Amino acid sequence: MNIAKLTKAYDGKTVVDGVSFDIPRGKVTSLIGPNGAGKSTVMGMISRLIARDAGEIGFEGRDLSAWKSRELAKKLAILTQHNNITMKLTVRELVAFGRFPYSGNRLTAQDNAMIDKAIAYMELGEFEHRFIDELSGGQRQRAYIAMVIAQDTEYVLLDEPTNNLDIYHASNMMRMVRRLCDELGKTVILVLHELNYAAFYSDYICAFKDGRIAKFGTVDEVMTRETLSSLYGVDFEIIRVHERPLSLFY
Amino acid sequence: MVDAKRNVSIWTKTSAAAMNPARRGNARKIAILSLLTLLAGAAYLLVLSYPEKPKLFAYVLSLRIPTLIVMVIAAFAIGCASLVFQSIIGNRIVTPCLLGMNAMYTLVHTAVVFIAGSGSVVARNANVSFIIDLIVMGTAATFIYAYIFKKTGNNVLYVLLIGTVLSSFFGSVQSTMIRVMDPNEYDALLVTLVADFNNVNAEVIALSIVLLGALAFFLRHDLALLDVITLGRAQAINLGVDYERTVRRLMLGVVLCIAVATAMVGPISFLGLIIANLARQLMKTHRHSYLITASALFGMAAIIAGQMISQHVFSYAVPVSTFITIGGGAYFLYLLLFTKGGV
Repeated sequence: MNIAKLTKAYDGKTVVDGVSFDIPRGKVTSLIGPNGAGKSTVMGMISRLIARDAGEIGFEGRDLSAWKSRELAKKLAILTQHNNITMKLTVRELVAFGRFPYSGNRLTAQDNAMIDKAIAYMELGEFEHRFIDELSGGQRQRAYIAMVIAQDTEYVLLDEPTNNLDIYHASNMMRMVRRLCDELGKTVILVLHELNYAAFYSDYICAFKDGRIAKFGTVDEVMTRETLSSLYGVDFEIIRVHERPLSLFY
Repeated sequence: MVDAKRNVSIWTKTSAAAMNPARRGNARKIAILSLLTLLAGAAYLLVLSYPEKPKLFAYVLSLRIPTLIVMVIAAFAIGCASLVFQSIIGNRIVTPCLLGMNAMYTLVHTAVVFIAGSGSVVARNANVSFIIDLIVMGTAATFIYAYIFKKTGNNVLYVLLIGTVLSSFFGSVQSTMIRVMDPNEYDALLVTLVADFNNVNAEVIALSIVLLGALAFFLRHDLALLDVITLGRAQAINLGVDYERTVRRLMLGVVLCIAVATAMVGPISFLGLIIANLARQLMKTHRHSYLITASALFGMAAIIAGQMISQHVFSYAVPVSTFITIGGGAYFLYLLLFTKGGV
């Protein structure tokens, strides 16, 4: 996926200003940056939830806008942080929605097999027939990931997946992201607030500041004292744990 | 096995394995509901119909059959429209009333009597008045709401807010007209401002069936997307649905359905709140195929029962809409106080 000169303004105020970068295939890329840096807006434009003002998003040789929405849904899955479904829906029915781009409302035997696989992969078997609103936050998150797996896309976009999760569920979530990439071969792009999750679980980091890219590179390239300090305006120290840079700030 | 699943129609689109055990009975519930509605319809036709006197019997039926058809059509239109509307908004205590269609109907009728007089063909001929209602409400609603949707970027909450404002605007214009109107004219007008299932011509029935059928045909793809639409904008787009376009088309469908029902029988769209919620409480599913069917069936049963009470217990002194308003009001309070309000 190639992003070129992406721009977005709200009421004359430019929030994303000429952002260009290529998302490496088969890797986990994290978008980080302080509040209002434009990372979520960039994510929104990549996932076609927000209309862009200018720029191009090349996806498999064509611009995103040239794709049929239904076809794109087979290549690119989106999971946002706001998923307050209020209707009565069981876990299995939610996961089954992942097959909608393929079969519409009529599930084929192949769809049911995919749904079974996704549910088993996320270890949701025992909750399969429970209603979504009866689950805990962590279980619900897993149900949504299962839906993304059932959607069977090469690209997965996650907007702040660790938001509102405690440390246990958040690190489980991040391990899941890693598995999506390593075991299922997906390209994962996510917006993260927690720097150290980005450092430990992603391959590349794209750091935003004031609507522009401050630094894009491998984890080791971005997680340096100078870069992070200028990015957040706070003093950082970087220590290495398990071959990974861990940032300390206080 | 695969073929069997593929043959299932769009309205029953799941395998048994995908069902929650609590939901297996949905098809049966629909069947029971249909049976009850049929029984209510039969009871309406036959109670006190004097079958021992053939001539009288034929006369009674000639009066009741058109009324029954009108009730069924109106209930169908309102039941479908209300349920779809709630699902789009994502809230089960809203009704299409909030769009201001009832107030628009009242205004159109008042304007007709005000300008042309209660003795004019336009006011007295049911067909002419139906067509005028339909044209005025249909075009006005299509243009107004299509414009509002574009203007607000498909923000349904703004649309509701504007609908409420329009509602009081139409109401004010109407009450201004009433204030300067001849009292006799007002008397004649008042009768048409209350929902009524009697005195409807066959031409009107045929026209409404054609219109609703065309609507269902043009919106069949959008209706099939309703389940996904209820997941919210982000999820719908994720799953490849053109959310904005679908919602806009469905909203116009809702508006036109309400226009047909209101033009036919008068302002009774409050009924939609009751029947859509009864359907949701009974079916406990997210599948709109079941929900819409149940909502329409509840509507038919409710209107037919209300009409029978009005006819046989109160000898036409109390119109059906009174029962609807009283029952609907109580049920609305119950919904507000004892349920969570989500779809």
